[in-house]
Amino acid sequence: MASDVAQLSGWLAKTALGDRSAFRRLYDATAPSLLGVALRILKRRDRAEDVLQEAFVNVWHNAGRYSAAASQPLTWLTAIVRNKALDALRGEARHAADPLEDESGKTHDVEDERPNPLGLLEAAVDRLRVRDCLAEIKGPQRQCLALAYYNGLSHSELAAHLGAPIGSVKVWIRRGLEKLKRCLDAP
Amino acid sequence: MNYDRPELLDRLAAEYVFGTLTGLARRRFERLRRALPAADAAAREWETRLIPLSMPVPPVAPSPSVWNAVDRRTGGVRHVTARGWWSWWQPVAALAVGVIATLGLVRMFPASVVPIDEIVQDRGSLPQSYVGLLTDAAGAPAVLASSTRHGKVMTIKVLKPIDVPAGKVLQMWALPREGAPFPIGVIPARDKGAFTMSGTSEQLLSNVPRLAVSIEDAPAAPGATPGPFILTGHCVKLW
Repeated sequence: MASDVAQLSGWLAKTALGDRSAFRRLYDATAPSLLGVALRILKRRDRAEDVLQEAFVNVWHNAGRYSAAASQPLTWLTAIVRNKALDALRGEARHAADPLEDESGKTHDVEDERPNPLGLLEAAVDRLRVRDCLAEIKGPQRQCLALAYYNGLSHSELAAHLGAPIGSVKVWIRRGLEKLKRCLDAP
Repeated sequence: MNYDRPELLDRLAAEYVFGTLTGLARRRFERLRRALPAADAAAREWETRLIPLSMPVPPVAPSPSVWNAVDRRTGGVRHVTARGWWSWWQPVAALAVGVIATLGLVRMFPASVVPIDEIVQDRGSLPQSYVGLLTDAAGAPAVLASSTRHGKVMTIKVLKPIDVPAGKVLQMWALPREGAPFPIGVIPARDKGAFTMSGTSEQLLSNVPRLAVSIEDAPAAPGATPGPFILTGHCVKLW
């Protein structure tokens, strides 16, 4: 659905004024992509839907803080959902040894249902500007960025996953982001 | 840490948005973001910069329970809790008032309700019909809608002209007992009109206790979500 920026901004502005119907439209237009983002990070649908619910309750109360000058509506909403999903993921990691195990002890093999993070990075690459910028980043650094952004892996988890020293992981991420910034911000 | 160094702030913002800033450092940056506009600006810049990375993530339709929970938690649905006996009577009383007002108006303007007044003359009574009386926010009768039980034409009489912004339409919606509102037709802003529905009144309205009107950019397609209702009212069976 091509919900343009002006339409989403309008619904957000009305939501800030307590317009429930605008809030519903905003939800209908954005919830599926936002759930996709949360599900990437959390792997489990129930947890991802909890995050989506929290995010929209938050949006209802804080829509007035959205500033159209500072960011586009979907960017703002995605940031809220990503932050909540990352917090939920890490809260789980603290409480449960294996976040993929449910109460019955069965392991959910949901990982296979998701496109792999590198695949998503390649898909993002198709978007003009990002393509040129990501093309410069290769090998384990590329994989590192993809796993961190799409799966919410921390430095130590990335190190374990990639079998690389944590120092290298930190440098890959930092330099990768610097490279992205330099390239994306270039006029 | 010296947060006055813009490059440090930028690096923290980058790792925060990217997700690799974890634990206490993450909480610290969140506090910093609230307190320091430069930190918030740096984070916003990174959010904008990295948003293309989220674009290819496949969307997933949420279960209906998510919206229901959001709606409940933001005060959209009134909770049915233990209240006085009067609260139980309120909807009943409202319905009774609506029906009496509807019937009163039907008697006052029978021709507008059922265009086939010859039949009325012959039979001495109104034919089996669905009738709706919609009122505005102040409770004033605004639109009378009527259709014979097995007919597809909904006749509209506007009792009080409605202000419609140029280029917009007045969309009438059926609000079923269960499920989402569905559009049934577009009504005029003044005087009389009629529209043909997708089915007979009996098919469409037998489980519809209320009708409503909203202002839309264009006639609503089936499955569309209505905008704010400017008129609502009961829909009753006249037999």
